[in-house]
Amino acid sequence: MKTKLLSLNEATRTVNSGSNKVTLLDTINLQVNEGEFISLMGPSGSGKSTLLNCIGMLDSFTGGGYTFLGEPVHSMKEKNRSKLYKEYIGFVFQAYHLIDELTVWENIETPLLYKSVKSSERKALVADMLDRFNIVGKKDLFPQQLSGGQQQLVGIARALIGNPKLILADEPTGNLNSKQSTEIMELFSQLNKEGVTIIQATHSEQNAAYGSRIINLLDGKIVEE
Amino acid sequence: MIKNYFKIAWRNLIKNKGFTAINIIGLSLGIGCFIIISMFVIDEISYDRYHENTDRIYRINSDIIFGGTELSMAVSSDPIGEVLKNDYPEVDNFVRLYASQRSKLIKNGNDYINQSAVTHADSTLFKVFTLPAILGDTETALKNPNTVVITERAANRYFGSPQLAIGQFLETDDDGRTLYEVTAVIENMPQNSHFNFDFFFSMANVDYDFGNYLSHNFHTYVLLTEGTDYKAFNKNFKEVINKYVLPQASKLMEISSMDDFEASGNRLEYSLMPLTDIHLHSSRNIELSANGNIQYIYIFSAAALFILLIACINFINLTTARSSGRAKEVGIRKVLGSEKKALIGQFLTESTLIAILALFMGLLIVWLSLGWFNNVSGKEMLMSSLLSPKFLIFIFALPFIVGGLAGTYPAFFLSSFQPIKVLKGKLSLGNKKNILRNFLVVFQFATSIILIVGTIVIYKQLNHIQNSNLGFNKDHVLVVNNFGLSEETRQSLKNEIEQLTEVKSASFAGYLPVGGSSRSDTTFSTETVMTESNGFNMQYWNVDYDYLETIGMEIKLGRNFSRDFGSDSTGIILNETAVKLAGFKNPIGKKLYTSDDNGNPQAHVIIGIVKNFNFASLRENVGGLCFQLENNSWETAYRFNTTDISGLLSTIENKYKAVAPGMPFNYQFLDEAFDNMYRQERRVGTVAMAFAILAIIIACLGLFGLATYIAEQRTKEIGIRKVLGASVANIIKMLSKDFVRLVIIAFIIATPIAWWFMNKWLQEFAFRIDLTWGIFAATGFVALVVALITLSFQAIKAAIANPVKSLKTE
Repeated sequence: MKTKLLSLNEATRTVNSGSNKVTLLDTINLQVNEGEFISLMGPSGSGKSTLLNCIGMLDSFTGGGYTFLGEPVHSMKEKNRSKLYKEYIGFVFQAYHLIDELTVWENIETPLLYKSVKSSERKALVADMLDRFNIVGKKDLFPQQLSGGQQQLVGIARALIGNPKLILADEPTGNLNSKQSTEIMELFSQLNKEGVTIIQATHSEQNAAYGSRIINLLDGKIVEE
Repeated sequence: MIKNYFKIAWRNLIKNKGFTAINIIGLSLGIGCFIIISMFVIDEISYDRYHENTDRIYRINSDIIFGGTELSMAVSSDPIGEVLKNDYPEVDNFVRLYASQRSKLIKNGNDYINQSAVTHADSTLFKVFTLPAILGDTETALKNPNTVVITERAANRYFGSPQLAIGQFLETDDDGRTLYEVTAVIENMPQNSHFNFDFFFSMANVDYDFGNYLSHNFHTYVLLTEGTDYKAFNKNFKEVINKYVLPQASKLMEISSMDDFEASGNRLEYSLMPLTDIHLHSSRNIELSANGNIQYIYIFSAAALFILLIACINFINLTTARSSGRAKEVGIRKVLGSEKKALIGQFLTESTLIAILALFMGLLIVWLSLGWFNNVSGKEMLMSSLLSPKFLIFIFALPFIVGGLAGTYPAFFLSSFQPIKVLKGKLSLGNKKNILRNFLVVFQFATSIILIVGTIVIYKQLNHIQNSNLGFNKDHVLVVNNFGLSEETRQSLKNEIEQLTEVKSASFAGYLPVGGSSRSDTTFSTETVMTESNGFNMQYWNVDYDYLETIGMEIKLGRNFSRDFGSDSTGIILNETAVKLAGFKNPIGKKLYTSDDNGNPQAHVIIGIVKNFNFASLRENVGGLCFQLENNSWETAYRFNTTDISGLLSTIENKYKAVAPGMPFNYQFLDEAFDNMYRQERRVGTVAMAFAILAIIIACLGLFGLATYIAEQRTKEIGIRKVLGASVANIIKMLSKDFVRLVIIAFIIATPIAWWFMNKWLQEFAFRIDLTWGIFAATGFVALVVALITLSFQAIKAAIANPVKSLKTE
């Protein structure tokens, strides 16, 4: 029996847009076990990104319950919440979101700085990660000097450096060509096999197929699993 | 972590070179200005603090009101110091300086030098003040007559070295010729002293009618015992006056008690002033040197602080305006686990780094401009004074203070971004109406406008002083000193020079209506017996027949002294104020009385009235004055009518040297002597102008940066508008409108503030300009034009850009 990583119980998110109340996420019930690879699918505006952000604790649900590793996230304070995601969650973005002023090495190193990891240990961890992704030769380059696929590799390396339990990827291949796309998805698949839990949001059926479970969203509701 | 902060800070600075340059230039100007003013202020407040007993030394000030004349003097009567010491145990010691002679002729080899920085002093000088000896025993140095203590500088000048000076004799022109033995050589006095003498002659050689409580000619300093409250001590002076001054005064006039004296509007008061207050808080009659002014310390400090603030505001505005550029980084860092605290730390590191770079440039600016500033302020400050421990700490702390001042708000602002919003690209801060930014721009321009108005008013006032109707004609008058000439030689030299075609008239003129000239006053009464109510005090000047013509004064009523009237020796000419003081309706032919040495009345007949002329600073109203015909040939004034001034000067010098070999040829032009009276105002004017220019430059730098950024932000909008048919003028107007509005608001706010301050400053002058709306209008116009020029660089660039290009960037 696999351990439960997180569970959503009637999780809802509504926002006020002018005088209208808009429901972005509508009574979502979802259980995620460790080691799963979930693909969230659905058209633009269906709530994929919002759901990812809420799971990643960058945003919060306005109603319902959210439990992460047995801890009730919905009743946590901001500080503890950020401690939690710092520890267990890695993010991968469509636009990579690397820091332009930092080199590849430094970008990957940054999360470790915020975890107060010792310098020698940081060096070892970053070197391992560069090795693993075959980008040792690029370590002193700046993001602008890399191709999109390479930038996303760095983005993933950075998400993995803190050894998270969960990787949240919002359209990770959205800005890439099909060849680069395939490489990235292969990599996710590989990571999943190594035990990392992954939730990705995607438009592409092809990419979604890499997942062990596909969830379809429409207008903030889970319509099909 | 800090290393990482510095790394990214440095890369950011390099990446945005333009903004970095604007910030660093602005801040370095601000910091440079701030450091120079700090040096100035520290120097000013350090005056007279080097004496061991600084906190216990006080000067006796005298305040006298008599017959409508008010005198606040830095001097007191000769016996009062001794009386205090004898009667009050709180007074440890006292010393008097007698420096009425501004200079002495001292023989150096075969020539005489007109030596200034000379005084006579009591032998207790060294018990009160700390003036360390190099050679000789200061304990006994001035005890005997015909002794002198000189500084190392004087010893070097006259004898070659202190060793060669000690025991030698100095020959001066006192009493014709007097020898003084050099009994001690002391170290040169520090620059920051309110008096700075090179020669201290024995008090025993002063030719003075000692024991006179009614004449005030001595600078008297007392050393109080430890823990004495000088304010409480001041109450004792009443007793001193009743016991010593009153008996002497009642011999001269009918005074029964001090209460009567005060009841008729008169006043006599003594008070102690702490030594360390003298330089910045004392501007009395007969100061030993021109003192500083605490007002100007405040004004300069405030201006320097404001300029630094204006520079900090540039940093705040540019950083927050450009925040969208940094927002993505903030978002990512937060997602990667950074706490807000860490981000604030990062941004503060950045602003501090900028401040450190600005500090180095600021120090360079200080180094480059210190000579100029010394010249303007009359100081002798050195770069090396920055190396004192206190200053080093201050300089070390400065970038952190400035970094914090400039960086705190942007740091909090930037670090508070919600990562989710920035990463989705929903944040567009550049165009957002930012009330704080607008407020800060208004603050910058309001400050600049106030400084500009200040500068204009100061310059207009100085101009007014120089060109106003003074009541005499200061131009084309040469005043020559008659050192070492016998009475006959003076007369014959004057006659000879008067024959020159370039010379219109000549007069023996010991008294001149400019600062630094002799003054003497005496008490007159309208009746033979003087009482408190019919007596009044006024200036009493000895002049000759040609004085009024030479100095260019105008007779309003009656006549000038004339060689045709034998009786003019008892005649006097009053100025208009004196007529008012005497209360005469038809003054011509009326008599005024003084008392002679035996207390008998002496009559003076009024023969003429001269139009009021300014003989004191234009800060004061014209006081009462009268002329009497008396020989006073210390100096000769020549009114000339030639443009070849150097030719005339060398002709006169040759004639002088021919009759006075070995004597120094000392001269001054009346207009220059007049201008010197307003040197401090001119200095303030120059510094204010520098401040105003700096302020507007820094403010415009910031405006330029903001305009650049806004134009960049709106490139796409501008492109679309142009495609839709907007003209270049439309675009420029659109881009400049908001800023112009801010400058106008700044002008509206600044005007009343500037008016209030400058009106207050002008109140110090009895003769002053009006604050017309033209001054403010001109300033507003200048500020607006400068702002428009600054804005137009970017606006025009953005407006004439090809829209196809800007739209393609999408």
